[in-house]
Amino acid sequence: MGSMDNTAKRLLQRLVRRIPSQMLKTTLDKWSRLTAAQRQSMDYTESKWALTEKLLAICEENELTVKHIAELEMIHVIENPNLGMWYVFQLMDPQDDAHSVELTQFKEQFKSHLSELIRHVSIKIKKHTDEAVWIRIAWGDTFSRPNHLKPTYVVHYLQTPYVFLTSPTSKQKPLLSQALVLSTRYQAIKDANLSGRKLTAIRDLLMKQYLQVFPTKFPSPLAERNCVVSNLHIEKEQAGSAANRHQMACEAFGDGILPQLQSAVYKLETKFRDHTNKTMTERDEPFKCVVKFASTNLLESLRHSASSGVASTPVTPLLSSVPLKGKNYFVITDNGPGPSSQMKPSQK
Amino acid sequence: MCGSAYKNRPQPNYCSCVVPVWVNERPVREILTCQSPRTTRTHPRTARRRPPWSFSVARTPTDSIMAQRRSKNKSYRQSYRSCLGAASRLSHTPGWTARRLNTSRRTKSHNITEKVNPEDLALLVKTEWQLSYVTPLYQFRHTQLRSYSRQLSAFITAEKQQGLAVEVEGAQTSFRVSFSAVQGLGETDDDAETVLLQIHSKPVFAGKDEAQKLVWSGWLTCINGNPEYLHLLPKDFTCLPLFGSRGAENLTSLVKSWFQQTFDCCFGPLEINQTCLQWLAALWTNCHIESSIQHLKMIWTLPVEPPLQITYTVNSQDVWELWNSVRNPSLESREEEEAARSIDIEEVTRFMQGLKSHFYRHFRLDLSAGRLSQVSSALGSAKFSGRIKMSNSRYVLTTLTLLTECALLKMPI
Repeated sequence: MGSMDNTAKRLLQRLVRRIPSQMLKTTLDKWSRLTAAQRQSMDYTESKWALTEKLLAICEENELTVKHIAELEMIHVIENPNLGMWYVFQLMDPQDDAHSVELTQFKEQFKSHLSELIRHVSIKIKKHTDEAVWIRIAWGDTFSRPNHLKPTYVVHYLQTPYVFLTSPTSKQKPLLSQALVLSTRYQAIKDANLSGRKLTAIRDLLMKQYLQVFPTKFPSPLAERNCVVSNLHIEKEQAGSAANRHQMACEAFGDGILPQLQSAVYKLETKFRDHTNKTMTERDEPFKCVVKFASTNLLESLRHSASSGVASTPVTPLLSSVPLKGKNYFVITDNGPGPSSQMKPSQK
Repeated sequence: MCGSAYKNRPQPNYCSCVVPVWVNERPVREILTCQSPRTTRTHPRTARRRPPWSFSVARTPTDSIMAQRRSKNKSYRQSYRSCLGAASRLSHTPGWTARRLNTSRRTKSHNITEKVNPEDLALLVKTEWQLSYVTPLYQFRHTQLRSYSRQLSAFITAEKQQGLAVEVEGAQTSFRVSFSAVQGLGETDDDAETVLLQIHSKPVFAGKDEAQKLVWSGWLTCINGNPEYLHLLPKDFTCLPLFGSRGAENLTSLVKSWFQQTFDCCFGPLEINQTCLQWLAALWTNCHIESSIQHLKMIWTLPVEPPLQITYTVNSQDVWELWNSVRNPSLESREEEEAARSIDIEEVTRFMQGLKSHFYRHFRLDLSAGRLSQVSSALGSAKFSGRIKMSNSRYVLTTLTLLTECALLKMPI
């Protein structure tokens, strides 16, 4: 029997399958568990199957275990943060010393708190170049060892209230929340109602790391003069309104390249109001529906709808709330804050 | 005029002055085919198999066939439309597609489980079908289904062995085709009986006891086909304009090409257009009182960059109440049963308008700028690409009636 158990083998096989051949070399170099000679001996033009066999043999030789393979997975995930679904949580009510928590302290605290809450758990923490702390958690329970094939990833930027998670189950979420709250010196954590496939995009959206446009109420005053021919007036007016639409679209969603969000969901529980439909308008119950906007780049699609006139300007607060509040899930009701109401609709 | 050598399938345009006469014998077609120039705008694949009547206009001498053929496509559409009542053409119509469909339809739910073989019905519902239209079949006989089963089995096996259409393993499998008539589905005596096709296959290397697996299924149907149009069809033509298929693409194309060769018909893709999707949304919602729709889900695609997809899902009770509020009040005064059964296009339009205005009030975004591309509820789902799923047998006939009409309208000839 070698050091590599079945889980370790499956994890390695899955990883090699997932990592594109041209990226495999750099990923293995970063791993630093292979000797220079072993790295030299890898022929990356070979089939994935052959590469897997070769790597399995090397791992046995170096007596690597599942924990080492987990490191390799972590390297791959950190390098490719835009795969899979990320959910954002927000820490609330910082304690006085929250801003002074530094990495070593956080690491120790998080590990000890989580290990206290659950007996079988495997935690790996790594700091990435951009201040982000990456945590990989393999969960077990009272009777079973940690399952390395279904890990949860947590990304936290120290000194910010944001935490990004992949695939936490309802059983793990409370444990994770408690450990996070305790180790970051906050008092509570809540669902930030933002999710997406691209970690960098949702991070940029929350931390406003993209070009924003500020309202300019006074366009160039010189534009009004010297127009004699009447259709010049019309053209100008049209060009003016197009420019105006574009300006308002950029004010609502931002300028330049926008963070890539895939969707926004609105749960509407508002009254049906339509002057042509008396029956429905007089009805007391809300008209319940769910509206989902989806696109390869939602904010760009919305900006284009506003600037092209498909959406009327000024942009409704419901849509502009996505970049403004950094959320993409909303519950809309008519009368103030309901159990989970996030905002009031504009009743214009 | 009708004594011409080129007696043909009647063209309804000329019906007002000409008594339709036609020739059933195959040789006539051969002559026509030979005489007609090949350099036409017809698709090369279908040119050879054009049914005799597609060469149009009985009164035309041979040398002017070319000129006449140009107007062929149009003449059919006009002719099918001229079969429809004046009401459908002159009433309020918001879009040009709406004009082409009936503007009013009955919505009676049909308990067809007693009339139709439950096995056939089970195959028809709860499966997603890809739709096509089919032009009338020449010399198709419901009495010959067994023989067709043999012929199509042989055809598929032969084609597969030639390696023309499929991968290598194809040659090693054997196919068993079965044609059957679905009795009791038709609504009127004019509707030809629905035909069900199933292809079973068993790989050669499978164990002896292994049963053959159903690898492909399809059907041809006509439900409530326009009677005036159906009556004008020559005796030797069977009109089953709606074709649904499920299974491997290569088998679908083999089945189609066998039909084309055997019955001189042609197939084409059948999209479920905006109007039709709106009709389905209204028809399904209308059923909510009898059988819950759970929700009404509509998907719009907006032409912005990058394309925006909007999924709008409405609670069943709320959407039903909205539907009720837009029904024509005048209908209540009429005989109640009749009123409950008939839906008008104006009501459908008002219904969609209501849904869109509620959306606009919140998002200030006009859904009319986009395209409705999908509608679904617990009763079924329909996609613009021509995919349909009917989940409840009670509403199969209503749905197929609408789709039969779409297929007849889409037929090019």
